[in-house]
Amino acid sequence: MAELTAFSFRTGNSLLHGLDARFKLVFLALISFAGLKAYLPGLFILTLALAAVMIHTRLSFLSVLKEIRYFLILLLFVFAARALSTPGVPVLEADILGKTMAVTGEGLYHGTLICWRLILTVLLGLLLVSSTRPSEIRAVMGWFLAPFPFIPEKRVATMIGLTVRFIPLILSQAKETSDAQRARGIENRKNPVYRLTKFAIPLMRRTFEDADKLVIAMEARCYTENRTEPELSSGRADWVALVGVVCLCILIVVG
Amino acid sequence: MGNILEIKNLKHHFADGTPGIDGINMTVREGEFVLIAGQNGSGKTTLLRHLNGLLVPTVGSVTLAGISVSENPARARQMVGMVFQDADSQIVGETVRDDVAFGPENLCLDRAEIQKRVSEALEAVRLTEFADQSPHLLSGGQKRRLAIAGILAMKSEVLVFDEPFSNLDYPGVRQILRQILSLHQAGHTILLTTHDLEKVFAHADRLIIMKDGKIARDGSPNEVVRDAEMFGVRQPCASRPGIEIGSWLN
Repeated sequence: MAELTAFSFRTGNSLLHGLDARFKLVFLALISFAGLKAYLPGLFILTLALAAVMIHTRLSFLSVLKEIRYFLILLLFVFAARALSTPGVPVLEADILGKTMAVTGEGLYHGTLICWRLILTVLLGLLLVSSTRPSEIRAVMGWFLAPFPFIPEKRVATMIGLTVRFIPLILSQAKETSDAQRARGIENRKNPVYRLTKFAIPLMRRTFEDADKLVIAMEARCYTENRTEPELSSGRADWVALVGVVCLCILIVVG
Repeated sequence: MGNILEIKNLKHHFADGTPGIDGINMTVREGEFVLIAGQNGSGKTTLLRHLNGLLVPTVGSVTLAGISVSENPARARQMVGMVFQDADSQIVGETVRDDVAFGPENLCLDRAEIQKRVSEALEAVRLTEFADQSPHLLSGGQKRRLAIAGILAMKSEVLVFDEPFSNLDYPGVRQILRQILSLHQAGHTILLTTHDLEKVFAHADRLIIMKDGKIARDGSPNEVVRDAEMFGVRQPCASRPGIEIGSWLN
């Protein structure tokens, strides 16, 4: 049996699961934008709010951390680059190869700010994916793109829907490929380029093969762009949530 | 019963020129249970993919209930439900219910009819209790049953199974076999490919053995099985000393 990743839809009865997917997408955009404009107090408020929603939707903190561990490594590089490259008052200095490298207070502040914002944005996306059926996300994308001329909204929506559906599969295959290579002693090879090449090529080949199989299976089941889409219906709870989200955004930005 | 499927001089060459199947002529009666055996690369899957227009013949024709598959592939895909060898690759939905609904949604049915068909199909394969679960968490046998539910919800008349027992444990094989037999009893026409005859032999009406893209033998299972090993298909143990081959369900 496969393992369910944090990037998969999970059925549930939480408030977030019950909201109209169109509203959820608007919330994602509003909060992400507010988060990018927020400073430390605002980010703290947003973190508390997201933690509460995660507990409410029963999304495990540990599984989320596990899923975003590579992203956290990337953020570490971003943080280090910011800390070392932002001009300001040095808090730590060191001579490396005859060149003085200084970590500045301003660098630490900006690095923290950027990394925090990025983590929260990823968490927001994760909450959306785990509480919204991909078919609904696909239908919502079609709904939002429909007014724009020259955009094949149903095709774009299908592509996005399938991408979302493929994320957990790719992660699961990445784990399988990684385990198989570790079983054959890949860890003895210290060259990261060699390891990355040996990992990425089979993973990509498998992903493309599976994509081909999926296309054939979809065709066999009469796939067409003109199909019965999920019903999108909004209610009072969605509008109340919208007011709540707008208030939260104001609080985050002015906080 | 009349013929539901007619294949005339069917040839298929892949894009690189490799021959897939070569001059196949066959008919299948409505309600028949046809077993297609052959070693890997003998053309079984290529043949099946012509039945619902997933592959287009290079030469020849496939006719379903009097209408050419090439002329109306959408009708053919609704009429011929296919369960693929790799059940994982057939899963489209994020929940069991969503996956079963995928086909009826493509047929543009209204939401109430879709719900009705999904409930009936899940009940038929005894997966109702898993309706809101992620399909990827199901066992191998349950995933195959989900794939069957997906085609039942489309009300397919001809059910095509491509190596349905591969990668299944003994209880899984029995589950799927029981399911296939109940569908056959309900009146569906069944075409099933395998390279392991033992599991399903006792229930088939007819056995076709393929070799190099051609039909090498076609007839009653008990007659054809004697030549099976000439074409790279293992003969069931019991048939060697002439004992009647029993069902895996007994």
